[in-house]
Amino acid sequence: MLDLDDHLTLLAAGDEDAFGRWLAGAEPRLRGSLRSYAARLDTEALVQEVLLRVWQVAPRHLPDGRPNSLLRLAVRIARNLAIDEIRRVRAEPMDEDGMERALAAAETGAFRGGSDPLLRRILAECEEKLPGKPREALAQRLASGGGEPDEILAERLGMRLNTFLQNFTRARKLLAECLEKNRVDLAAELS
Amino acid sequence: MGNPGKDREALIEALAGAYRARDPHGVISSHPAFHDLDDEGRIEAFEAAERLRRIEAALDPQGLSTTARAVLARIRAGGG
Repeated sequence: MLDLDDHLTLLAAGDEDAFGRWLAGAEPRLRGSLRSYAARLDTEALVQEVLLRVWQVAPRHLPDGRPNSLLRLAVRIARNLAIDEIRRVRAEPMDEDGMERALAAAETGAFRGGSDPLLRRILAECEEKLPGKPREALAQRLASGGGEPDEILAERLGMRLNTFLQNFTRARKLLAECLEKNRVDLAAELS
Repeated sequence: MGNPGKDREALIEALAGAYRARDPHGVISSHPAFHDLDDEGRIEAFEAAERLRRIEAALDPQGLSTTARAVLARIRAGGG
């Protein structure tokens, strides 16, 4: 079982690279814990906010002796932020059972992150087969690392925003088809 | 951040991306496309984002998704 608490010593010392390794394993589980909020909250914004808070509290975090204690703390922070936001916008109550399942899943194990060499090889081959414009749109998003808005990425490629997004959708769907042909089931990997 | 009009698929794609603007206090803002989509569209965007982040992480030498890279960039810039 992958226990992300193995990184705690380095995180306590403020090691950003160690936090990157923790992120790679923690992010899918954290995001998955927010599934029941997806219609009520912008979960991407929430995930990023939670991860920044985890970085701030990590040096003071004391493990509880069970696996993935920092990841479970992240899930709890996410839950509290989600409740606050839902109260603020007066949306429907949260799914308590879903959050308990998420905490249990976090304790059971984290993700391996992106270190699966077989998946990486298949994806690289699938990416190479993409037509020009969709491939360019995908490459721009990957290169920007979530740091620039799509408007800027589209402008860099000489595309209108909608054209950029259409090309990105095409890239995403073609990649999914290619993965399926190679018997890779991302949904199963994320469950 | 602009808005990709009323094209539902474009709105979903925009919301599934990792870029999020910050308000003047540095707080991460919701994507404008979130407010233009119905519940079903928001859930579709969530599911697209889940798969995209896995793909991004698999393609990244350090195994990082664009979300993780955006967070690390903010920390390294001193905004964490």
